[in-house]
Amino acid sequence: MNIALVVRLVTILAAAATARRATTCRWAALGGSMFASAVTLTVAVQVIASGHAIDGVLLRHAASGIVLGYSVTPLSAWFLMVLELIAIPVAFYSTGYFAHAVSASRTAVVGTALNVLLGALEIVFAADALIVFLFAWELMTLSTAVLVATDHQERASRRAAYLYLVMSHVGTGCLVAGFLILSAATGSQSFAILLSGHAVSGPARHALFALFFLGFGVKAGVIPLHVWLPEAHPAAPSSISALMSAVLVTAGIYGLVRVCAFGLGVPDVRWGLTFMFVGTVSAILGVLYALTQIDIKRLLAYSTIENVGIIMLGLGAGMVALAHGQGALAAMAVAASLMHVLNHAVFKGLLFLGAGGVVMATGTRQIEQMGGLLRLMPWTGLCFLAGAMAISGLPLLNGFASEWVTFQALLLGFASTRGLVRLVFPLGGAMLALTTALAAACFVRAFGISFLALPRSPEAAGARESHAAMLGPQAALAALCVVLGLFPGAVLRTLWDVTKSLPGLQPPVEPSWGAMGMAARGSGMDAFDHVVPVFMAVPMLGGLALAVWAAQRATAARRAPTWACGGELTARTEYTATAFSKPLMLIFRGVYRPTRNVETLADVSPYFPQEVRFRSQIEPTFERYIYRPLGRGVLRAADGMKVLQAGSLHAYLSYVLIVGVLILIWLGGGM
Amino acid sequence: MTDVVWTAGLTILQTVGLLAVAPLLKTVIKKMKARLQNRQGPPFLQGYSDLTKLLRKESVRSETASWVYVAGPRVYFAAAIAATTLVPVLIAAAPLEAAGGILLLVGTLALGRFALATAALDTGSPFGGMGASRDMTIAALAEPALMLGLFTSALAAGSMNLGVLVRGLLQQGPSLHPSDFLALAGLFVILIAETGRIPVDNPATHLELTMIHEAMVLEYAGPDLALVEWASALKELLYMTLLVDLFLPAGMATHVTAGAIVVAALAWAGKVLLLAVAVTVAESTNAKLRLFRVPELVSISLGLAFLALAIRFL
Repeated sequence: MNIALVVRLVTILAAAATARRATTCRWAALGGSMFASAVTLTVAVQVIASGHAIDGVLLRHAASGIVLGYSVTPLSAWFLMVLELIAIPVAFYSTGYFAHAVSASRTAVVGTALNVLLGALEIVFAADALIVFLFAWELMTLSTAVLVATDHQERASRRAAYLYLVMSHVGTGCLVAGFLILSAATGSQSFAILLSGHAVSGPARHALFALFFLGFGVKAGVIPLHVWLPEAHPAAPSSISALMSAVLVTAGIYGLVRVCAFGLGVPDVRWGLTFMFVGTVSAILGVLYALTQIDIKRLLAYSTIENVGIIMLGLGAGMVALAHGQGALAAMAVAASLMHVLNHAVFKGLLFLGAGGVVMATGTRQIEQMGGLLRLMPWTGLCFLAGAMAISGLPLLNGFASEWVTFQALLLGFASTRGLVRLVFPLGGAMLALTTALAAACFVRAFGISFLALPRSPEAAGARESHAAMLGPQAALAALCVVLGLFPGAVLRTLWDVTKSLPGLQPPVEPSWGAMGMAARGSGMDAFDHVVPVFMAVPMLGGLALAVWAAQRATAARRAPTWACGGELTARTEYTATAFSKPLMLIFRGVYRPTRNVETLADVSPYFPQEVRFRSQIEPTFERYIYRPLGRGVLRAADGMKVLQAGSLHAYLSYVLIVGVLILIWLGGGM
Repeated sequence: MTDVVWTAGLTILQTVGLLAVAPLLKTVIKKMKARLQNRQGPPFLQGYSDLTKLLRKESVRSETASWVYVAGPRVYFAAAIAATTLVPVLIAAAPLEAAGGILLLVGTLALGRFALATAALDTGSPFGGMGASRDMTIAALAEPALMLGLFTSALAAGSMNLGVLVRGLLQQGPSLHPSDFLALAGLFVILIAETGRIPVDNPATHLELTMIHEAMVLEYAGPDLALVEWASALKELLYMTLLVDLFLPAGMATHVTAGAIVVAALAWAGKVLLLAVAVTVAESTNAKLRLFRVPELVSISLGLAFLALAIRFL
């Protein structure tokens, strides 16, 4: 682990030193990054394979006796593995992408910040000392802000970075407060002691849970703490967006798992229910907002919120099970959410990389301006389709696998708990089904409108396929989607080893299915369900062969223009993305609260309009009803405080005096 | 080894059998509908003639379409076939129950729908987009109700695997629990919604404002269209068989003997016919709903399924 961090540090220095020469700097930053990631990946794989944590020392200060250590536990190793599995393709992709998409003068900044971010994430996942963790956490926030503000001449980017910083620091404030309470209670710095679960008890535990939930929830982007996410993720260069959506949110999830679920003792039922509720709301609102976006990167960012919701739903089910003392069930639910962490990282990384290629080729992020790209960018299109199918939870791909395990955890949770609480499980399952189906609609739209039919703008018509250095990583991630989907058993078995290290979880001792399949058993139910996707591939291929054989006359198909009701088929007669999501927008109008505005400009008679202008907008509910009043309140409070800052030295001296006296009284009272 | 041969044999036999019967089901419903309207209706073999005619015709494809357009009907067809292998029909065992259960079944059908809806966007015609949009909308609304209905039955039987589930139900005997009727009613609504029947969709219309499924496949011709039609028919038969399996599996063969299979075949045909009559009556006595009234219908189904779950387990 130390080697990896040294490599990372050298890379950062090299990237900063070669700032003058963009090409050298690019290769130094990205090559070094890939090397450091590869080293960390081997460490993570080693830990997961052996099941034993690797501990070490980052810094030892002989005089004060302070030792700052790290500890790669199996849980840390899982997150590290996910991080590096994405970081390597992202760095590879960036070798091609930065050359065109990031100006030469910014290369050094972006390359350095990227490495700082990756290094900080590695330390966050591996840290064992509180101070190291908080330092890395802050470093991660700041380096991300730099990356978000890459295009800082644009107002939107600056605003996104600012919003991100504010939200993150509110979150970090909660974390610092929480950790200080824990640290004061135990008198220790080490996570092993802080998070042993015996530090606090009683109502203070709930307060701590709330603090950590807010602190980590902001990073994970759960609703209603998500407002920064759809602004910040799209603003960064696309390969960075991929990294942010795929792994930066997992830093928040890591915190939620490590601290909220397993660090504060046996979780309360209400904590689990909070997780499930917030998860369900995030999943459904996330996908509903994603459905109406026409900016492809914003769409993907909202879909990240959806997937974080699915992860939270599984985790919450696990916490409820833990609270009921059902270790086996909890292991399944936690495994489901950790599996979705991996799967989401893979397909979201893939989709963002694909979107980056498309945005670079067409010069626009609006899917209404794309269209017909499958012919011009066939490989990007194929990889994007694979990602779209995976994220829609379709069988034979990885999204299906983790959603399958989540469903099992929810259903077995219903079967093995008692009381009214159990009804939340099937309801959660039904909402998960709704989320999955809406995600399918969302990605039919995202892929269909941007890649199929006729180009909708001259820029789209002139698009060119991405550079091979950008296609390679996408192909690798798409292949990973298929492999993880066909062999989910291997992933699940690995996760049993990871969950074994968490307190209270009892993963099955003897997983009976091999790498190909997964099985779910409940108490008293030997064969609740199992799935072996490879077996399904056989009839699928058979059916495909039969279809091709039955329709063999279609191989010599005649080509004819699409009939356009007697008119001419142009890009303007195509169905648009807005129209595609219109039925759902109207059905869920209670959520969207859309406003529309049609303006007709006519010279002579209103029946012969010269121009029709249409504006439609959905209400930003959270921004308007939560954050705006909150922001106003903060500003007003700050305004009130201005009285204190009178600018007079005498006043300040009197403050010092008053505070001094108060401290003396307080200390004196304590004696 | 004998296991593999047995599985493969059963899979092929069942798939071919269902593929052969599926067009008949569509025609029977058409015929019954016609009789209710005092019309003669098509001859019973019309479905087969239509398919052979389409399969022999020349295929015409849009100039703007890519390979996705070609892949759409084929994947849709393959997914429907793959889905049938998870459902027990005559014997109380699904041919490929080793592959998975209800969730895989629903996922496989979703795969087919995804392929067809994506392909519909490929020709550039506004109809395709309209159909795809509406089809995905209704599917998204139906999904939670479908899942909840299936969960109720699965939890009652203690398994999500359809083979195990059916064997469990056969062993328990008919429960006649009120929740069964609620869940059946809920799933029947979903059957109507998913197979594009009145009052959700109208399979006989080609009027642009009312089409859903038909709009999606409007551009297809010849063998491509035949695949879509055949797969749709198969899907309808599959949904009906699923309902029969979940709520009235009595009569299924538990041992493979000639007599038992014949009894099972007759019982299955009778039960599916009963459902077909129910669909016909629903189609003939209702007017098609406006698209934006469909959510109300589907939420009734969701409510029924939830109620079934609640009274069964609380």
